[in-house]
Amino acid sequence: MADDRKKMFAKHMEIKYTKEHGTNKMEGGEITDMNVEYHRLGVDQNPRKLEMRKAGEELSKKRGLVGYNPMMHCGGIPLGQRALTPSFLSGTDDMVEIDDLHYVNNSAMQQMWDDIRRTVVVGMDMAHETLEKRLGIEVTPETINHYLETLNHALPGGAVVQEHMVETHPALVDDCFVKIFTGDDELADEIDSQFLIDINKQFPAEQAEVLKETIGKTSWQAAHIPTLVSRVTDGAQTSRWMAMQVGMSYISAYSMCAGEAAVADLSYAAKHAGVISMGEMLPARRARGPNEPGGVSFGHFADIIQTSRTTPENPANIALEVVGAGCMLYDQIWLGSYMSGGVGFTQYATAGYTNNILDDNLYYNVDYINDKYDGAANAGTDNKVDANLDVVKDIATESTIYGVENYEKYPTTLEDHFGGSQRATSLSAAAGSAVAIATGNGNAGLSGWYLSMYLHKEALGRLGFFGYDLQDQCGATNVLSYQSDEGLALELRGPNYPNYAMNVGHQGGYAAITSAAHAGRGDAFAVNPLVKVCFADDLLPFDFSKPRKEFARGCLREFEPAGERSLIIPAK
Amino acid sequence: MAYIPQYGPGTSHVAENRRRQMNPTYNLEKVRDITDEDIVMVLGHRAPGSAYPTAHPPLAEQQEPDCPMRKLVKPTDGAKAGDRVRYVQFADSMFNAPSQPYQRTYAEMYRFRAIDPGTLSGRQVVEARERDMEEIAKFQLETEMTCPALGGLRGATVHGHSLRLPEDGLMFDMLDRCRVEDGNVIMHKDQVGRPIDKKVILGKPMSAEEAAKRTTIYRVDNVAFRDDPEVIEWVHRVFDNRTCYGFKPEN
Repeated sequence: MADDRKKMFAKHMEIKYTKEHGTNKMEGGEITDMNVEYHRLGVDQNPRKLEMRKAGEELSKKRGLVGYNPMMHCGGIPLGQRALTPSFLSGTDDMVEIDDLHYVNNSAMQQMWDDIRRTVVVGMDMAHETLEKRLGIEVTPETINHYLETLNHALPGGAVVQEHMVETHPALVDDCFVKIFTGDDELADEIDSQFLIDINKQFPAEQAEVLKETIGKTSWQAAHIPTLVSRVTDGAQTSRWMAMQVGMSYISAYSMCAGEAAVADLSYAAKHAGVISMGEMLPARRARGPNEPGGVSFGHFADIIQTSRTTPENPANIALEVVGAGCMLYDQIWLGSYMSGGVGFTQYATAGYTNNILDDNLYYNVDYINDKYDGAANAGTDNKVDANLDVVKDIATESTIYGVENYEKYPTTLEDHFGGSQRATSLSAAAGSAVAIATGNGNAGLSGWYLSMYLHKEALGRLGFFGYDLQDQCGATNVLSYQSDEGLALELRGPNYPNYAMNVGHQGGYAAITSAAHAGRGDAFAVNPLVKVCFADDLLPFDFSKPRKEFARGCLREFEPAGERSLIIPAK
Repeated sequence: MAYIPQYGPGTSHVAENRRRQMNPTYNLEKVRDITDEDIVMVLGHRAPGSAYPTAHPPLAEQQEPDCPMRKLVKPTDGAKAGDRVRYVQFADSMFNAPSQPYQRTYAEMYRFRAIDPGTLSGRQVVEARERDMEEIAKFQLETEMTCPALGGLRGATVHGHSLRLPEDGLMFDMLDRCRVEDGNVIMHKDQVGRPIDKKVILGKPMSAEEAAKRTTIYRVDNVAFRDDPEVIEWVHRVFDNRTCYGFKPEN
């Protein structure tokens, strides 16, 4: 296919590498130049670094103990020997400082994870059956509304049964709430709209029909405990906090006896029997309870991200939003902090969602697939191409070579993705997502990912760091393995899958491939309709339909997070 | 029939360069001389002329157990002497450097014994007994495997392999270990960036044409990867076999 399309990264490369930012002297030239002058200006060239240095100096004076000092880098050679350039969040025109892509510096990134960790889906039907059959209490839409009003008081930390109880201050837990959703339109009509996640309004009609049919006449609560609680404790707290408040709310709303044996039945039915955590508990060697990032399967994550309902006609965009969100959660927070510590993983992860390099590669692939496979990259189920090795090889090879050649034709993109791990993530995510979109098959996409790794390594004589040799060299062997601990559908794999638990630059891509398979088919959800609907809620502080834009707002200090403590600390 | 190693696929000169570097029977062209003293200086592990620090007494002074493996495997000079294990680490530019990380590892594996290489994207490290390592470093620095402008010794802060080249053609180095003086690349810091007592001359940079001729990296402005279809076919075969083996090994 003729490569005469406009490069999506061109504008961003031009601004980054031919326009001065701060005082970095990166002025002039072309983005295809192979040569450049390095001015070795240090941190003085960059506005954010200057702000950080000033803050470090003030901190040192204030506390009488030294802190941040850029001259401590390399024994007195500070960062900025090459030009410190800004970045753009892919899919946006928002230019940001790269330091602001670390989650510590970005309140939107923090809130994305907060909103996942503090969420649990809880079934209502067994509780209702217990109320009706065991206790003889009638459950009606009116009683459900009353219960939900009670729970929206109790879930943040309000007392409902006992006297002289401590309560949490509503202004500190203002992000905590519970809503209900159901596939039963009749029941939905009877629910007070403030409590309802309306599937018909939140999803395109075809997706709504599928979701309602799948969920059926069951009803579910989407509960979000306070961000502050979740931060102080951990993900496993979410279901416990929910359970206690749900139990008390049932007792209060339905005027039950707190000590009656039947309430024990209700407790199990209401608090534990129908609980769906966002992440599974991890084994002892990783020692994490439910709702920690290592347990969030790629399928769940693909469902948490909501772009599939806002741009269903654009499968590539859906996958790219999942890449961005996934690289942030899995690489920057899970592997970068939970598993590793330190700050370095951010630099790897941002390659997946900045400067449109991956976007350009994937949209090229979409054009290639639509040209060669008769529109197979458009959303749909009757236009998919067979998921076989010939198709995988064709699409993944073309995708990878296109991406590699861009690094060669545009040395500024090579400079932007200055590490092989960054390039490997971008190239393989493009290849894998493209195969998944074309075939509607996540494991075929995963196969394309691994072939891309082989091709990349052979073309350039390098891949990523040591870990890539393990995960990506043996990866193809477990794509279709029949061994039970290896041959899992991609939707059900997650960060703790064998060999996936140690390597930055992969898991966001795997999540994207998962979503791409279903986005390519125009599916309403990837693996769990309940998770998909739960996050289709505009009241959540983080907008899961456009995570990259939200990250940009975090960088630009425009994002309003939850869980702030200004009410209870001295005013500054 | 005797086994004849093929070293790698491809019909282009890039593929042929890869095979030559790997093939221990092929005499790579020696393009410069660097003294042993200078090698020691830029490696930075010991002072030139000083004795090799040891991790254990020489094997000859030890009571070696009666072990068939020890009879079978002849120790290297460094192992015999009890040298400690030290490293040399190379970085090679993406802009037609003669070698690259996997290539260095493959070449070392074919040409040397008792080594422990590590292969990354921006660097390649190999560890060995110190005197053995010095031999490995000298071999690579003196032969066509290395252009002193497009490749270099970087024990730490290796950033630069993928950055655009400055006007003097030296791969970007944050620690400024090398400079061009009188047409030669000189190194005035050791591989981890500590200043050294003298400037070590690493030789002349390769011209752009020479680098393009000697490189083992496919590039669209030299030999494009897609223009060596035998390599792609071979990668596909590896991919097919690994995938199918995982699905059903007996096939």
